[in-house]
Amino acid sequence: MIKIEKSEFGTFIRDLSAEYKLFAPVGEGRQSAFREVSSADQMNTSIQMTQNSPKTVFLPQTEVLFEFNGDDIQSGEKAAKPMFFWGVRSCDARGMNLLDKVMGQSKQRPDDPAFQDPYWKARFDNAVILTLACHEPASTCFCHWTGGNPFSKEAGDLWAVETETAYLIEPLSEKGKDFVKTLSGYHTASDKDKQEIKTLKKQAESCLRPAVDAKILKEKLPKIWDDPLWDEVSAKCVNCSACAFICPTCYCFDIQDEGKKDKGKRFRTWDCCMFPIFTKEASGHNPRSLARERVRQRVMHKFNYFWETYGESLCTGCGRCIRVCPVNLDIRDVAKQLLEAASAV
Amino acid sequence: MIKALREEVRRLFEEKKVDLVIGWGKGSLPMTATPVFIHKAEDVEQLIWDETCSNNLAVYLTKDKRQLVQTNQKIGIVVKGCDGRSLVLYAVENQIKRENLVIIGVPCNGVIDKKKVLKQTEGKEVLSARFEKERMVVEGRGFKTEITKSDMLSRSCIHCNHPNAPVYDIFIGEPINTDSDVAVYPDVEAFEKLDCETRWKDMVESYSQCIRCYACRNVCPSCYCTECFVDQNDPQWIGKSPEITDTLIFHLNRNLHVAGRCVECGACERACPADIDLLRLNRKISKEILERFNFTAGLDIDEKPALASFCENEKQDFIMG
Repeated sequence: MIKIEKSEFGTFIRDLSAEYKLFAPVGEGRQSAFREVSSADQMNTSIQMTQNSPKTVFLPQTEVLFEFNGDDIQSGEKAAKPMFFWGVRSCDARGMNLLDKVMGQSKQRPDDPAFQDPYWKARFDNAVILTLACHEPASTCFCHWTGGNPFSKEAGDLWAVETETAYLIEPLSEKGKDFVKTLSGYHTASDKDKQEIKTLKKQAESCLRPAVDAKILKEKLPKIWDDPLWDEVSAKCVNCSACAFICPTCYCFDIQDEGKKDKGKRFRTWDCCMFPIFTKEASGHNPRSLARERVRQRVMHKFNYFWETYGESLCTGCGRCIRVCPVNLDIRDVAKQLLEAASAV
Repeated sequence: MIKALREEVRRLFEEKKVDLVIGWGKGSLPMTATPVFIHKAEDVEQLIWDETCSNNLAVYLTKDKRQLVQTNQKIGIVVKGCDGRSLVLYAVENQIKRENLVIIGVPCNGVIDKKKVLKQTEGKEVLSARFEKERMVVEGRGFKTEITKSDMLSRSCIHCNHPNAPVYDIFIGEPINTDSDVAVYPDVEAFEKLDCETRWKDMVESYSQCIRCYACRNVCPSCYCTECFVDQNDPQWIGKSPEITDTLIFHLNRNLHVAGRCVECGACERACPADIDLLRLNRKISKEILERFNFTAGLDIDEKPALASFCENEKQDFIMG
């Protein structure tokens, strides 16, 4: 484990930004996001969680797939310079691994590039992600419901803990190991440092509130698919997409063409299952015409459908949806209500 | 106050005057209320009323929730001044049957905007909040601070001069006295004074943050088209990506669609996850309509809307130059 003293941090970041396109938390409150930085003073190192997840860099809201001008067709931009992500929380790092299961890998045909998204892969495979342990989970955090932990080492290429005077870094993946080899002139973490990590981890875990095991939710949800309770839990939802658009794991998109017959572009842009038009068919029929059906879809996708396909929950418990929901539809309350109803069946 | 509200609602259920009451309940987070739907007398304890009850509940009578009104059930609805104005608007626009509603007014001294509180705490999470008259004591990990009400009031409330529902069946407590019911728009005037280039730059910068989640539209009581123009795809009127041109088309169209209908409740601005000044243009239009037509939306059920009627003595300088 490498120790970077805070007095060395400025140099470390400057060196990093020379080698990589460096992304880190920038800004405060609702304006905060992962943005490109070139020095430590541009970063917000004290932020618990950015409003926008790093998803916005890997799967941008809008992305040109190709442009054409007459017979000249140019494919969309793919990342060239390697990227480094500093300060990703474990919920977001796990979220990116989940997205990679959909965009970067193919469960059925893992070696067939036709089933991999080249735009996603160009970024994700070309990025080093540093997962920064989360000292003070917010009251909205529930990563531990979904198998996560504020000090989880499950996702990312590097894992770091901020102590009072330093950042302690250890590799998690092959990419991480390669990165650590490039670092020289730094100290190694002492036993005292490692003891401090244990204390910090305990403190972080003490911030977490009682959990519901998302796995039980996965098993029980199908039992109440038709339950009138969905009317009740969806009653206050106004069907905007604030929850989905700030979610680190919502990945649905629409494909659109813009332009004229000899010049134009095809792009994809985030879409959301909360919108009525999301499922509207050419005939005019809409299989999910009611708010109840759309809320159910989102909950089922997060806690059951994705699990059926990929063996994990699609929610990593970051709690962003709870923070931004304009009507305070708290997914934890919904889960508890549903679980209670399912247990009674 | 809360006790009186609960007792009134209990009475309404016991006397079988309502099948459903829409009000606010305690939310899952500090400083947060949440809409609640009460179906029986036993559940009235869920109801609350305080500075956190910011949602405009009228929105639950239209759009996706229209079936609530269509079933002809008797609905009780707890309203602040602005929510009450939305109900007047719905009555004027034939969206509700007045006789099916039991309007329960509550005296409103303004609601808070949590985003403003977060600015005061420099982004630090508030874990508990306690109201004391004109201020709120907030606490989080490692800090405790007091915020005065004026620093956290929703922008819609700062210049509000209609704190009471214009039409109601029951009023809980005493209606708020206002010095004047003539609207004032110092915020709009300040914006008007900027030169055109600065205003445009400011708008483009602000609206560039939009992620097109449509939270503003969906919480807006005045925006209730069965199918919004942005959701139509045959023909498709507007590009779907958050490209600034399309984003502005969405927002400016929305401003025009609610012109003379906006009750300035500020729900759009409070809901925005990108912190955009959404109310500014709506208030600008309200100011224009007040000056030109002496009309304010949502005050009088019998008054024809300014943009749906014509009087010979109206100012016509915008046509004649």
